[in-house]
Amino acid sequence: MTDGPLLWYLNRSSGMVLLVLFTLTLVLGILSTRGRAGRGVPVFVTQALHRNTAILAVAMLVAHIATAVVDTYVDIRWWQALVPWGATYEPLYFELGVIAFDLLVVVSLTSLARARLAPRGWRAIHLTSYVAWVVSLVHGIGIGTDLREDARWAWLLTAGCLAVVLAAGTWRVGTLALDRRTRRQPLLAPSSGVGVERLSR
Amino acid sequence: MRGSPVPIPTEVTVHEGPALLSGLTAGPGLAAHRARYGPLPTFDLAELTGSLESTSVVGRGGAGFPFATKLAAAARGRRPVVVVNLSEGEPASAKDHALATRAPHLILDGATATARALKASQVHLVLPGDRPAVRGAIRAAIAERSEEFVLHLAQSKFVAGQAQAVIQLMNGRANLPVTAWQPEAISGHRGRPTLLSNAETWAQVGRLLLVGPAAYAALGTPREPGTTLLTFSGTTGRPQVVEAEYGSRLRDHLPAHAHGRPALVGGFHGTWVTWQTLASMPVSHARLRVLGTPLGAGVVIPAGHDECPIELAARIATFLAGQSARRCGPCLNGLPALAEVLRSLADGGPGPAAITRIRELGDLVTGRGACAHPDGTARMARSLLAAFPGEVSAHIRGRCTMVAEGAVAS
Amino acid sequence: MSSRLRVDWPRCAGRGLCHELLPDHVSLDEWGYPVVTGDLTDADLQDARDAVSGCPEMALRIVSVPAR
Repeated sequence: MTDGPLLWYLNRSSGMVLLVLFTLTLVLGILSTRGRAGRGVPVFVTQALHRNTAILAVAMLVAHIATAVVDTYVDIRWWQALVPWGATYEPLYFELGVIAFDLLVVVSLTSLARARLAPRGWRAIHLTSYVAWVVSLVHGIGIGTDLREDARWAWLLTAGCLAVVLAAGTWRVGTLALDRRTRRQPLLAPSSGVGVERLSR
Repeated sequence: MRGSPVPIPTEVTVHEGPALLSGLTAGPGLAAHRARYGPLPTFDLAELTGSLESTSVVGRGGAGFPFATKLAAAARGRRPVVVVNLSEGEPASAKDHALATRAPHLILDGATATARALKASQVHLVLPGDRPAVRGAIRAAIAERSEEFVLHLAQSKFVAGQAQAVIQLMNGRANLPVTAWQPEAISGHRGRPTLLSNAETWAQVGRLLLVGPAAYAALGTPREPGTTLLTFSGTTGRPQVVEAEYGSRLRDHLPAHAHGRPALVGGFHGTWVTWQTLASMPVSHARLRVLGTPLGAGVVIPAGHDECPIELAARIATFLAGQSARRCGPCLNGLPALAEVLRSLADGGPGPAAITRIRELGDLVTGRGACAHPDGTARMARSLLAAFPGEVSAHIRGRCTMVAEGAVAS
Repeated sequence: MSSRLRVDWPRCAGRGLCHELLPDHVSLDEWGYPVVTGDLTDADLQDARDAVSGCPEMALRIVSVPAR
């Protein structure tokens, strides 16, 4: 069973599904940073969708990794799927996938513990999901069989996801610039020790 | 602090008083202080608490909270911190300025003795960024003493002296208020119990410990023993600091130019009152709070003879709106709106909706911020309506009767 | 003891998610910031917890207040 083509196909297809799920999660995440109550889709709906697609994506990612490890067509040890080191099959693109996975593990765990973290720290870590998305895209382009075999649908899907994320990212940068102009700015910068003097005698 | 209708004083007239401000001619030095009061005795926590409870010492920063209760809360936790807040964020207040420059060792004795009783390792002093005379006087005073103090420099900002803002400063963050989920006496500086009080409170504690509860309670009333400091300030002239016995009449302490004029009692966050009300007021934190005109930090700002209180209130509101830390939405949006309505009222002829709008904005900002800045600003604005209904109506019609007959001067 | 929502004002950015989830307890002022009214009933508690965990700025808490 473990040497049959089924696992291989599962691995390939889950990779393509992951691309779509991660893209969806990212876009929903961007959308939920915006919006005021009473206009359009409620923020909590966008936010809940973002969270649920993220959970679905993580489950799919576990399946994607498990099929790659269990499948014997290429020799991947379980630890190689966790540590970006020592892979023999397409090492560069494979390790990129591992890096994306590791980043997403950190992002997922910090989001589960969000209530106990400082908002700034959580946000900084959460922003690495952009990096994870780009890294996983490169991983998919480099290692994905369908793309390497120049399947037209696979290229269209990849290009479509890239276009959607670029559009959403551009929009987000725009809203940030708008926020910077219109939103409140604290009048005082953090003192960071300035103004604190010690007098010892 | 630019734009304050009452400028931050560089010089303060300090009148000789019956207790804290007695013996001023001997100067602020340690030798004169010790010659007058003798050495600072050591107290344990029980003795200190007993003295404080028998004399009902309350905080003089504005809230009027019993000091013994705060001390007990701080004593329950581990490794308490003692903080003397000398930052006096209110430009119209000068009493901490007066104490720092005339009787600094009373402040330092109060804090030192309490720190010893609490077994606190350090006393922190928070100095004002915009009152160099206070910084100089405190530096000179600690140079005469053997104890170690940690000094912090507050920013020049109305809200920078607020307790949570001071703790933020001590923790190396922006000197601005944050939400207090617990009182600082339970969890303050680095999560430790923090006994933070303003300079006058510490000076009162210092004097109580030096002279004993009996001599301390020889002044004042049974319910409020001792004295309290008052600052009389205005848009012009030097502020005057007097020490008033609790239970005395406020009008007996007022400077001559205040007679017959309405006044803002309790500082920029205070309450406007007519001369009749002002003249009838007792010097009492407890009674004035019940009467709805809290004494706060003891600031009284009489309107000048050529000043309309509505005009002065509008200028104060504009200043306070500009002093918002701009962190809390209701304050950030509500105070400029409030200042704008007061400005239109001061200029005359805004229409009767202005009154409703002042009440509405007052309700909207009160209780909806990390600190009491919006609450205090709303109180000041709303008290205009209560104190001067006739004058407010006159302004609605475009006339000001407080300054001179005729239309509002532009 | 009863429960109430409390806003951490310096953090609140007026996103209004709490109002969407708890319209009976949270209205919005003219600038979009929450106006919290009334104690939470047991039935509201789950929605309140969702509002707390969903607040984009983590500016909301449920606090216990002595019963009046």
